[in-house]
Amino acid sequence: MSRMKLVLALLAALAFAALPLLTSSNYILGVGLSALIFTVAAAALNLIYGFTGLLSFAQLGFWGIGGYASALTVMTFGGNFWWGVVWAALINAVVAIVVGYPTLRTNRHAFVIVTLTFALLVTLIARDWVELTRGPMGIANLPAPSAFGHRFASTGDFYWIAWAFSVVMLAFLYALCSSRIGRTLVAIKQNEPLVRAQGISPMPYKLAAFAISAAITGAAGGVFVFHLGIVDPLILDFYYMQTFLIIVIIGGAGSFWGVVVSGVALSALPEVLRFSADFRMVIYGVILVLAMFVMPSGVAGWLRERRLTRTREALQ
Amino acid sequence: MTITGTYLLQLTLNGITLGLLYALIAVGLSLIFGVMEIINFAHGEFLMLGAFAMAFALPVVGLLYWPALAVSIVAIALFGLVVYELLLSRLKPDEFERSILVTLGLSIIVMHLVQYFFTANPRLVDTQFGFEGVEIGAIRITWTRVIAAAVAAAAFAGLYVVLRHTQFGRAMRAIAQNREAALMIGIRPRTVARNAVVLAAGLCGLAGAAIAPIQLVTPYMGQFLIFKAFALVIIGGLGNIPGAVAAAVGLGLIESWIGGFFTVAWQEAAVFIIMIGVLFVRPDGLFKRGSMRVG
Repeated sequence: MSRMKLVLALLAALAFAALPLLTSSNYILGVGLSALIFTVAAAALNLIYGFTGLLSFAQLGFWGIGGYASALTVMTFGGNFWWGVVWAALINAVVAIVVGYPTLRTNRHAFVIVTLTFALLVTLIARDWVELTRGPMGIANLPAPSAFGHRFASTGDFYWIAWAFSVVMLAFLYALCSSRIGRTLVAIKQNEPLVRAQGISPMPYKLAAFAISAAITGAAGGVFVFHLGIVDPLILDFYYMQTFLIIVIIGGAGSFWGVVVSGVALSALPEVLRFSADFRMVIYGVILVLAMFVMPSGVAGWLRERRLTRTREALQ
Repeated sequence: MTITGTYLLQLTLNGITLGLLYALIAVGLSLIFGVMEIINFAHGEFLMLGAFAMAFALPVVGLLYWPALAVSIVAIALFGLVVYELLLSRLKPDEFERSILVTLGLSIIVMHLVQYFFTANPRLVDTQFGFEGVEIGAIRITWTRVIAAAVAAAAFAGLYVVLRHTQFGRAMRAIAQNREAALMIGIRPRTVARNAVVLAAGLCGLAGAAIAPIQLVTPYMGQFLIFKAFALVIIGGLGNIPGAVAAAVGLGLIESWIGGFFTVAWQEAAVFIIMIGVLFVRPDGLFKRGSMRVG
């Protein structure tokens, strides 16, 4: 079962890699590129929410900080794109630890509220700290990254960067989630007192999951703004958080492959809904509310339950 | 800029008004959390709807302040009732994340529907008082601000009486303190939860209507105010009503003072920095309530 999944994942990765060879349409490549990066960000949210059981709205803030960090590295501090992405990850990991340490000491109610407040704060700072972020104008004309004398100028070229980035990140997250650490995180979600009784301190695990999730989300944001070519406070639009959440919830929080599949599938959704930009967010909201009532554990959870019911029936 | 006593006093008075309005929002949040263990992410949208109700009611009643205020309160309380019956009543107390995602979805739906129908252009709300104000020495405060502060203070007095001295309020406090014991003595959680949501929504309608003439009314105003209200309930202690009020007035003052001397970015960051600081020192909020079962 697990080997089949890996083979399928490999095939899917190769199919995605082949996309620029099949089409030269910048539109389709753009959608594919967003699908890859959104999937990474959703998988990072899945690490903290699905596996560890901590609903974090800070992801939006990390996504935005990552975007600004990589853009500022290039435009203000004279670095290159690659260092920009590294800084995006590092800064977010540090921010996550600073915000996470006091917050995780409280309860999960407070965690949700603090992370949401954090995300909104980042939005306000992006808008109002004009000396650094250039305010609502944003930082435009981000240059195309280059490596070994090659400039990744076209969407097709940049697509490779996004592809390599997401394959590496997803592989890392998969390794993490299926390791002993991943199982410990699930145990913390299911029964924290039991984890303590086993002699495991939950705090370092929770903090590490939060920091890793933040670093990956930040790096994803850092790559994404170079695809957009501009970073402005719109990178902190709640629409992004909404997208990540819907991907995780529809896919099934706590199911690694469920979220990856729904990430790829649902990233096409904004394009389908493009007929009405005004109603797009309304439809997202309706999907969120309906999903919570109809299938709260997502497609993966629904499949698991159906399998369980079948097994029970077969046993009777 | 010279720092004069007048300027400081002006900032202080503005801060108190602001703080009292924050407190109205935070109290509603605390009320719903205490009774249902639901954090209502759509609370800011209740407030925004209250402001819009005020903006639309005022021209109809010929710019008269009080009738428009009453209309907003009733409208939002009814909206709260509908939301409770449609969505919140289907949530169980132990489904914490689910309740958040449902109310978040609701908040997004409401915000964008309002934006779609009434556009995102900021509205200036005019009342019978216009920009007239009361002058105390060298300080000038507009009537709308004075009334907002007075209305908020009156609402707290009313809330105190309701929670302390009516069966309606005592049932709410009973459920918040000990759910099982309240069930045993025959209090119906569903009725009480409905009352709490309607009351909280009414307070939000009041706050929104009082804010409308002071600030610009936009579909996003709820989002920015709720962000502060969330910080307040954390600082004051989740589910702790007096704590939230104390934190709200304190924060309104601090924010107003900081806004008077530093850039706007600092004003907004202050809330968050204070919240993180409080969490470091007292993880359960400044005014922890002993008997509250949380998390």
